[in-house]
Amino acid sequence: MSTPIVPPLNIEPGAANDPVFVGVGEIPSGRYPDRTFVQAITQVAVRALKDAQMTPSDIDTIVLIPNLHSFDVQADLIFSRMVEELGLNKKAKSSFMVHSGGSTSDNAVRVASGLIASGHAKNVLVLQAECWGSANLAEMITMLSWNGIPKQWERPSGLHFNAIGALIHQRYMADSGSTAEDLAAVCVSLRKWAQLNPNAMYKDKDLTVEQVLASRMISDPLHAMECPMLADGGVGFVMTSSENARARGLASVRIAGSGGCVSHYSIGQETEISQLGWKIAADRAYQQSGWGPQDADFAEIYDSYAAITAIAVEGLGFVKPWEGARWIASGATSPGGDFPLNTNGGLLSAGHTGVGGGTALLVEGVRQMLGRAEPQRQLEKTDRAIIGGSGGSYMDSQVLLLEQGGTN
Amino acid sequence: MTTDVLTEEFHAGLGRGELLIQQCNECQALTMYPKYACPSCQSEDLGWTTASGRGVLHSFTVSRLGAPSGFEDDLPYALAVVKLDEGVQLLTRLMPDPDGDWGGYACDDRLQFAPDGGDDRPIAWFRKQAN
Repeated sequence: MSTPIVPPLNIEPGAANDPVFVGVGEIPSGRYPDRTFVQAITQVAVRALKDAQMTPSDIDTIVLIPNLHSFDVQADLIFSRMVEELGLNKKAKSSFMVHSGGSTSDNAVRVASGLIASGHAKNVLVLQAECWGSANLAEMITMLSWNGIPKQWERPSGLHFNAIGALIHQRYMADSGSTAEDLAAVCVSLRKWAQLNPNAMYKDKDLTVEQVLASRMISDPLHAMECPMLADGGVGFVMTSSENARARGLASVRIAGSGGCVSHYSIGQETEISQLGWKIAADRAYQQSGWGPQDADFAEIYDSYAAITAIAVEGLGFVKPWEGARWIASGATSPGGDFPLNTNGGLLSAGHTGVGGGTALLVEGVRQMLGRAEPQRQLEKTDRAIIGGSGGSYMDSQVLLLEQGGTN
Repeated sequence: MTTDVLTEEFHAGLGRGELLIQQCNECQALTMYPKYACPSCQSEDLGWTTASGRGVLHSFTVSRLGAPSGFEDDLPYALAVVKLDEGVQLLTRLMPDPDGDWGGYACDDRLQFAPDGGDDRPIAWFRKQAN
């Protein structure tokens, strides 16, 4: 399949209107039943603003990333509750939601960037929170099995989100020859990063390949400990223009390019279940940025199941096809390895905060590049990072290429 | 339940023991899952053709725990993505092996539609193709 030529971004690096990240905020992931949703997302906002050395009145635009645990709460967000919570009545220009499931953060960045570069927004606050960990598990399983699964064609079969992950694992194992041990070792690698992240759900729990393989079979070949644990949590970030960042003396991270591929809606219509849209998305991103996987210092890639990430690292060109799981299992991407991957522990070990799982990975990438991770996991070299997003039925593969925006 | 021109005939076909594929009456393109306009030529003049019922197992999984509401009593059950010989594909259920499990299946197995497969729900069932 030929990939169309992608035009470069219509923005000069470091130009006055170049959109940049200048701050991030996060609250711990896990089970926090006493933390209400609005409390959580307010805490995220306060932390992100503080990190960006801003106050609410600096923000003219709020972009909201959805939660999935409650449509009631969702409505609060859509109808601008956060404007009032932050005291921005009459000051905010715009408050709205962007939604594409797990890849929402990638699309929220594209939207915020476009608004900033064109002058429609000055300072954008992007917010996410989720209360999955404290929600009723059976209700969440059913909700997740109804949402995004074609109601006419696949819902009657009893398809559910772990089954989608399992279908991908099964075909990936058949094509790559990766073993159950290899895929379990991917989970273990993520756990090692999570143990360095004070906000991770599983920061205090060891994990071994043997434990993963001894856990109950959920949906062959997926074991219970290979399925993401639903978590409460929240992250946010602040974007502005390069000009504003410089005027405020803020360190910044810019976007060198992005690429995406929406490969299907129904998993039953994905023709290459062990590849998805990653290579097409990556080619488009690399064409736009002019740099590629060999130039990146680290990556943060959606990892709701081990095979999802293994497929992504292959499509992104970090390793040859079918070597993704074995590469991660080898320890190459673990703490102390050659190429850090998912340094917050990922969805599988930091916690699956719904639409926010991918946002947390993006925020971790920006945090690392701003040099603000806790010392035990702060990477030394963070000139360039690759962010990979997906979600739902893995209908889309999204790539953001980040690079240092400079200080002063 | 609202009548839907896409599902009504497909479901009726399953009830008769036939697996139907949508076919465009203008450009003859086959489409699964059925659409309101032909993805190839955008014609809204769409009909149906009966599938051979033969295809290849692209992937499958056996759900054992954590079924969505309404499917608890089905556990364990096997879901599969089947690529039909006609060039379209769909999500199906797989018939178990004689031992009641699905250990005899592997990716790329040849499969055939099992019209007697299962139940009166609108589900296409497949089994291993007889040699």
